[in-house]
Amino acid sequence: MRKTRTGWLLLAPSMIILFVVGIVPFIYVLYVGFFDWNLFSASREMNFTGVDNYRQLVFDPLFLDALWVTIRFTFFAVVSQLIIGFFLAQMLLRDFPGKSFFRTIHTIPLMIAPIAIGAIWRLLTIPGFGPVPFLLDRWFDFDFNIGTNASQAFLAIVIMDIWHWTPFVTLTMLAGLSALPVEPREAALVDGANGWQVFRYITLPQMQPVVLTVLFIRIMDGLRTVDEINMLTNGGGPGTSTRTVGIHIFRVVFPQTDYGYGSAMSLLTLYLTIVACWFLFVSLTQVRRR
Amino acid sequence: MKKLSLLVVVIAVVLSGLSIVSAQDMGIDSAWWETAGAPYAGTVLHGVSESTPPSNYVKDVLAPMFEEMTGIRVDLETTSWDQMYDKAIKDMEAGSGIYDFVYIEQDIIYGYLANDYLVNQTQALAAAPELAAPEFSFDNFTTFIDYFKNADGDVFGIPMEAFVKIYLYRTDLFENPDIQAAFEAEYGYPLAPATTHEQYRQIAEFFTAYGEANDMELWGTTVQAASGHPSSFYEFFESIAPTFGVYNWGINMENWKATVANGGSMNSDTAKEALAWWLGNLPFAPPEATSSTWDEVAASFAAGRAAQGIVYGENAAWIATDPERSVVVGNVGVALPPLSEGVLAQAEADEGYIGYYDGGAFGLPVSSLNQEAALLWMQFVGLPQVQAEWAAAASRIVMEPTYSDPLVVAVDEATNGYFSLMKDEGYLFAGAPPFPFHPQVREVIAPFIYQAIGGEITAAEALDLAAAAADAELVNLGYGS
Repeated sequence: MRKTRTGWLLLAPSMIILFVVGIVPFIYVLYVGFFDWNLFSASREMNFTGVDNYRQLVFDPLFLDALWVTIRFTFFAVVSQLIIGFFLAQMLLRDFPGKSFFRTIHTIPLMIAPIAIGAIWRLLTIPGFGPVPFLLDRWFDFDFNIGTNASQAFLAIVIMDIWHWTPFVTLTMLAGLSALPVEPREAALVDGANGWQVFRYITLPQMQPVVLTVLFIRIMDGLRTVDEINMLTNGGGPGTSTRTVGIHIFRVVFPQTDYGYGSAMSLLTLYLTIVACWFLFVSLTQVRRR
Repeated sequence: MKKLSLLVVVIAVVLSGLSIVSAQDMGIDSAWWETAGAPYAGTVLHGVSESTPPSNYVKDVLAPMFEEMTGIRVDLETTSWDQMYDKAIKDMEAGSGIYDFVYIEQDIIYGYLANDYLVNQTQALAAAPELAAPEFSFDNFTTFIDYFKNADGDVFGIPMEAFVKIYLYRTDLFENPDIQAAFEAEYGYPLAPATTHEQYRQIAEFFTAYGEANDMELWGTTVQAASGHPSSFYEFFESIAPTFGVYNWGINMENWKATVANGGSMNSDTAKEALAWWLGNLPFAPPEATSSTWDEVAASFAAGRAAQGIVYGENAAWIATDPERSVVVGNVGVALPPLSEGVLAQAEADEGYIGYYDGGAFGLPVSSLNQEAALLWMQFVGLPQVQAEWAAAASRIVMEPTYSDPLVVAVDEATNGYFSLMKDEGYLFAGAPPFPFHPQVREVIAPFIYQAIGGEITAAEALDLAAAAADAELVNLGYGS
């Protein structure tokens, strides 16, 4: 009994902090989401509107657009990171000249703050001054302008995210691959399996927990990306072509000071993220079982 | 020759960083400030403002000078425009007392007053006469201070910057005889700063072609058209639309409606013509135009990449005088923006305006924990003695006598009359409309302007959608029915 009490006492500080900084704000956001509350409205009052905010969201083209941009961005970025990261991890398992140097250089983007990543890519791609549009124009006579071309701006944010986060995938995959037992692979080779068959039937199934972990972490990160895109495309432009849900929520909550609607938007996004991750998890584990 | 020597003087002042200036040099009665500040010595005042030339001058020059006299330290955080609002509003709403003074842009004051965020400085000084500096008076300011008064005439913000968004052009290009001849041969009239939108477009076309033909990094005009940033919204609604005769963003101030169907003019034919004209300037602007906010527009002009442009006046001085940041030093001309027929007459009759009279003040939040020390600081910023140096460094003027200070006269000559234009024609410009819902409505309108810049929708579609969205949001905010 005393042991239990001591355990709870030792846990208490962490639990109190978690409750204060995690649970209380969540409950507050949940509460505010049921109100119409804008500091700069005529009344300034919090008016209870039930689920009206959520009803509006379903028909809000700007929110739905932002959601679609976020889904596309996350899909292209995460899939690319997984493929490139897995390939690089396989490569780093082998010895080659300059391996240590490459691994260090490759990891540098991970250490840079997202806002600085956005600034770096903005400087690289800004029309008129950036080296990327300059060289594309000089070498290929290609007009690259992320200020006016929505597809190019979208491509730029995806490439920036791949550049930023692929090292994380590589390092995690490398750790996973390094820890795999060698016996199944050797047995398969003795049985005459080729490289693809070893990868498909031995390596990939063994790596499933690592791949799933990386996938979920990257999906969750991708869905809430704000700062680097906000910096690169000046708030999600051109138009709303790179305005992700995160940027949209930021603009609704801060400049627009629409706290009720913004809270509802945040909660709906959280709900959709959980559902998407759960669906993905169930689908992938079902496929593996079959 | 005279112009050249004046320019040298101004450049010397700018390059010196103004660090040699002391309170005594400025003729400030430091004894009074030492006595008044003594009870608060050691206090640290925290402020937040946008990172602009006037605010940076406050941070680098006025704050240390104030601390030296009073012992009160002033930490001014100069940050981006949106961060500045975000931080100030959250602090004042939560009442956390982080900031002892905040920058109040003229367009947000109505919202701050409606929310009772600010201390009534007239009453505060009347209630504490021992804090009232003898050299300070609200009456010293130009009429710009009126924007920061309530209905009773009480002041809630000390003006610290005021400037007009003007038409800048390159005098070296406009006065080049070969260019003048080529232009006249092509368009049939002499090259001069445009007075109509058609002329402005033709000049833009001409210089873009000229740059291309001569393999120069030169385009016809700047356009502040960041395709995801509110700066493009502001350029259109506050600088371009008024030159066509569309005022107050096209919102009817009597019934708070924007659509033509409801009595507004945001989607009127004139507004659509204005937006189409502005978007039509993009092919004649440097490629960075669609990523340019106010800062980048000034930088593009200073880099010599545009022959003309509508530029915030706070940048006029450094563009015209600072050789470390500008390649067009000594080659900057100023003029009124091009106008549609009848707009000038409306402005002269006080029935309209021709552009944006921008500026801001320092306000004292009710939540400040150091209100008395902050009151002293506010008055210091509003002393007549500190105004001229500040104006020369950051092209802002909030007091009438500043115009005639020799240093300001020198900058005026270096900019080919920016301050004279502001003094003589400033009344034709106007601040933002008195909307208590300014950022809220801007945020619902702006995405349509961004989409029009990106070419996703036409100018007419953008304004139809924007006006409908504004009507809906205004009802949502409780304005109009």
